[in-house]
Formats: sequence, C-alpha cells, structure tokens
Amino acid sequence: MRTPLAWFNLTYERRRLLTAIAGVSFAVLLMFMFKGFENALYDSQVQLLKVLNGDIIVVNRLKYTMFIPEQFARRRLYQAQAFEGVEAAYPLYTRDGAYWKNPDTKAVRPLRVLAFNPNDPVLNIPEVLAKQEGLKLPWTVIVDEKSRAEVGPRAAGIVTELAEQQIEVIGTYSMGTDFASANGNVIMSDQNFLRYFSDLGPEETERDLNTVDIGLVKIAPGADVNALVAAMRQRLPNDISIVTKAEFVDMELEYWRKNTSIGFVFTLLTTMSFAVGIILVYQILYTDVSEHWVEYATLKAIGYSNRYLLGVVMQQSLILTMLGFVPGYLIALVLYKAATNATGLLMNMTPGRALEILVATVSMCLISGAIAVRKVQAADPAEVFGS
Amino acid sequence: MSDSLRLSPAPVPASVESVPTELAVQIRDLNYYFGQGDLCKQVLYDINLDLPRGQIVIMTGPSGSGKTTLLTLIGALRTLQEGSLQVLQHELVGMNQRELVDVRRSIGFIFQAHNLFESLTAAQNVEMAVELMDDRRAKRQRAIAMLTDVGLAERADYKPKALSGGQKQRVAVARALVNQPTLILADEPTAALDKKSGRDVVTLMQILAKEKNCTILMVTHDNRILDMADRIINLVDGRLETDEEIDHSTDSTDSQNPKNLDRHMFMIR
Repeated sequence: MRTPLAWFNLTYERRRLLTAIAGVSFAVLLMFMFKGFENALYDSQVQLLKVLNGDIIVVNRLKYTMFIPEQFARRRLYQAQAFEGVEAAYPLYTRDGAYWKNPDTKAVRPLRVLAFNPNDPVLNIPEVLAKQEGLKLPWTVIVDEKSRAEVGPRAAGIVTELAEQQIEVIGTYSMGTDFASANGNVIMSDQNFLRYFSDLGPEETERDLNTVDIGLVKIAPGADVNALVAAMRQRLPNDISIVTKAEFVDMELEYWRKNTSIGFVFTLLTTMSFAVGIILVYQILYTDVSEHWVEYATLKAIGYSNRYLLGVVMQQSLILTMLGFVPGYLIALVLYKAATNATGLLMNMTPGRALEILVATVSMCLISGAIAVRKVQAADPAEVFGS
Repeated sequence: MSDSLRLSPAPVPASVESVPTELAVQIRDLNYYFGQGDLCKQVLYDINLDLPRGQIVIMTGPSGSGKTTLLTLIGALRTLQEGSLQVLQHELVGMNQRELVDVRRSIGFIFQAHNLFESLTAAQNVEMAVELMDDRRAKRQRAIAMLTDVGLAERADYKPKALSGGQKQRVAVARALVNQPTLILADEPTAALDKKSGRDVVTLMQILAKEKNCTILMVTHDNRILDMADRIINLVDGRLETDEEIDHSTDSTDSQNPKNLDRHMFMIR
C-alpha cells in the first residue's frame, strides 16, 4: 500500500487538525441549520393541510394561501356532493387572529380557531376524534399542545377567555404551529364558532355557517380523483378553486417559496455557508502546500509526477471534509431538537436532507481542492536548488 | 574515516584515462537562457562536458556562475531547447515534461536542506523513493537496509524532529540512493553540517558510488571535501573555465606544480 502522505500531512499536528475540523464542521453545521430552518418553515406551513381529511379541497379562488381570509358559499359543497363518486363534503371554518387570554399572565394573544361539525371526521388526528362528544357542549374547545408558550397552560379543565367570552378547555391534541396560526391552534364545534364569532360589534367581521373557509371532499374508494377534479372544474362556477389535496399542499408551498423572501433569503444564507466552507478548506490546503512546498517540489525532483501531487491535495481535501461532516451532522441533530422545542416549528432531519448536505460538502471539498492544486502545480523542482 | 590516498609513481596530467565506453553525462554546445523577450538573459555559454561512469566530480565557482542551473539541467528539472544534453543515454533537449519526469527517476538528488517530510518517519521518507519504482512489498526492507548502510538503523522509525542535522541529511542521502541510481546530483550537501558530519556524508556517497559504479556530480564551496573528488570543474560566468582531473589535491589544482610532484614521488606508505 502506498504511503498515505495526504493523511499524514493532514493529521500529524493534532492542534492544527482539530482547528481545521472545527472550522469545516462549523460550515457544515451552518448549512444544516439554514437548510433546516427553510425546510421547517415549509414543513410547518403544511402541517394542518396534511391532516385534512379530504381527497379534493375546495377554496375561494382568491385564497391562494392560508393567510387569505376569503370564504366561499357553502352551496358549492352541496353542488360538489352531487357528483358521482363523491362520498361526502365537509366544511371547515377558520378564524385567524382570535384573541385568547393566557390563563396565567392574563395577556391576550391572537391564535387561529378551526371549527367544524364534530360529527364530520374533518381532521385525521385521533385526539380530535376522541373528543367528539365533548366538543358538542357549548363554550368548549380543545387546544393544540404544540402551540407557543404565550398561549399559557392548556390542560383540560382550564377556563379562560376567547374573543372576550368565557371558554373552557376540555382537552388537547397535537398538530403544530405555522405562520398563519400566529400563537397556536384551537378546535371547536361549528355551533360554538357561531357563539363566538357571529355576533360581534360593528367593526368586526362576523361569520356564519353559510360561508366556508376550506371545503373537504371525500371520494369513494376506487374513484378517479383527477377525473372528478376536472369534471368539477368544468361544471361548477368560477368563484372557487378545486384541487386535489396534494395540489393544495403544493400550492401552499409554492406561495412560500415564490411569493415570499423566505426561499431567496435561505438560499442565500446556505450558499454563503457553502462559500465559507470552500474558503476554509482552501485555506487549510493552501497552508499545507505552502509550508511543505519544498518537500513537494523535492518529490517532483525525485520523479513524482504532477498528477500524484494533485492526488495528494485532493485526498487531503476529501479527508478534511469528511472529518468535518460527521461532527457537523451530529451537532445539527441536537440543534434541530432544540430549535423544534423553542420555536414550535418542525425541524426534521431526514436521510434525504442529510444526503443533500453531504453532496454539498463533497462539492465544497472538490472545488477548494481544485483551486488549491494550482498552487502545488506551480511547485518548481528546479527552485529547490536555491543558492 | 581515513583519507584514501591514491598513489601513482608519477604525476598524471589531465589525460584521457581508459573510461568505459558509455558516458553518464554528455553535453555539447549547451546554451541556456532565463526569461523571455526583452528580459532574456543568457546564463550558460557553450558548455561541453563528458562525465564518465563512476567518476566523482565537484563543480565549483562563484555565486551566480550558473552551477546550480547546470545541475538542474542535468537533473532533467528544466526544459531545454538548444544544444545537446545526454543523461544516461537519454537526450534531454526537446523532451516534454512527462519524459523529463521519467528520467528523474534514474537520478539521485541530494540537496543542501534535507527536505524530509516532518510527518513521516525516516523509514517512510525513504520508502517514498522506493514506491516510485512500484516496489510496494519489499519497500520497508529496502528502506531499512539503506538506512542501515548510512548508519541509522536504530533511528529508522523516528520522525525528523527527533534527529540531528547530520542524521537528517543522512536520511536524505539514503532516500537518494535507495533506488541505486547511476547518477547522483548533489547541491551543497555539506553546507549545513559540521565538519565531521559533512565528511561522513560525502565519504558515504563515495563508498556507495564506488561500489555501484555511479557518477557523482556535486556543487560545493566546501574546501574540506575537495580532496574527495576525482575531478574538479570550475564554472565562472556561465562558462567552463577549468576542468582538471585529480588524483589527490588539497590545495593546488595545477598538477605540474613541483611541490605536488615531490610529495607524490617521495611518499612511502
């Protein structure tokens, strides 16, 4: 086996090696964190959408993102139900910015209210289905336990105020917050929805059950969902958007990717970390070649080809980035957990995402290696004979 | 190490000895320039030189005279366009980089600085040279054998920082000689060493050279080792000024000097 010159040159000075690994790990960690936050933002926005129990979603045509408080006429759901292959159509009512009083601090914070007929299996969450009967009682609600801390304690039995009226918490469920949900989510029955939001003062927008925020259409097993969507689009009026659930999720993600600065900002940040990584690795390689250029030039004089030396530099680059990737990955795992707990956003490490960053790390090493090899190519063996 | 006096009944002037038919180095009409265009400067003028196998040659001359340049040219470290330079039967003029790299592998280089890798042990440094010849399996044995020859068997697994200056230079010599090259080029090998270490290193080269019949061309200012050479070449301002074959000389290079004459004639050992 050939003497692993690249390994020895990289590792024989412990302190320098550790500093180098720390630097590369940091760059890797930055990439993981930025990409992680970006994905978390996207993942979080569609948490609610993913648990909607519908194959086809109906919303007001203007509602291209969950943020937009536009409703459509409930009549449209009855019309959709008439199509062959449709089993049921459930209305889901939402209210953004409903004011919830924190039971402890008495501070009032906005959150999102989701409301539907408790008999309709609108959300695919077991805790919600379990509380069907409790939700039918007046002035009751269940709270998303992943809501932010500002919402205060949320155990069953707590009595507080929503929209300046008394409310009782009868249980919790688990979903997750996103930008549109402000501080958290709560679920109540449609009748309770009326109790809180139908008789408000002149400045508030009142709600009634004839206007629906999101309509969920369940189709019979075996029915062609795309055909139904196409048919509905043709026959139903143009004031609504009809999409499959997957399209609905995509629509929301598209909004966040294209219409906000999030995508741009995070891509920029991730790219900057990538550049930092390249510079760090290049710096380390350059230092090694500079400090040892006489020895490398001597190798050339002895008869080693340029290609061998390029190989040594590239090997060093590869070893360094791999040694830096592992600690970066492990720390990222820990920080993902911490960030999820702190922000309520969903920071998830999937193998696909880890692979993405690994590919980026390897490219980082190849690029910096390619730049550094030019330095070793310039090592002129004739110069070793200095006089 | 004792001097090896070569006795001959009468002083032998620079004459043609019976040399083996093949020359290690043959140079004809060599001119070499640095720089291009307006900055073009000629550093070697009309060099003609024959170095037979087994000869130990010292090249001296003032700084800037082009000795090092000539050494690097013979060592296939630079590309040449003019004249003829044959090293070990290879014509270097007009060779491309890859061909030059091949030629270098038959030449042993010894520099003023040892140029060893700090991250490798002495044995590993020598193995780097052995690996060039694709001998992976026996490389450690050959490295240890060579280090034993230079007297460093017990220090084979030490890194350079645990070795003295003389020891490091000996490792460098081992590295240069382990592949048994037929030509050794040395640039001031003793400049960084004290008298004893310097002498030891050169004697070592001498012994090994005589055993293997390899040619040594050494650039040096070190007067302490001038007597080790068979021949001394003087390069001044890029031209070969003098070229004397020596049997034994510590001061004068003029073998007709009566002082030298007498000593040779009347010394009995």
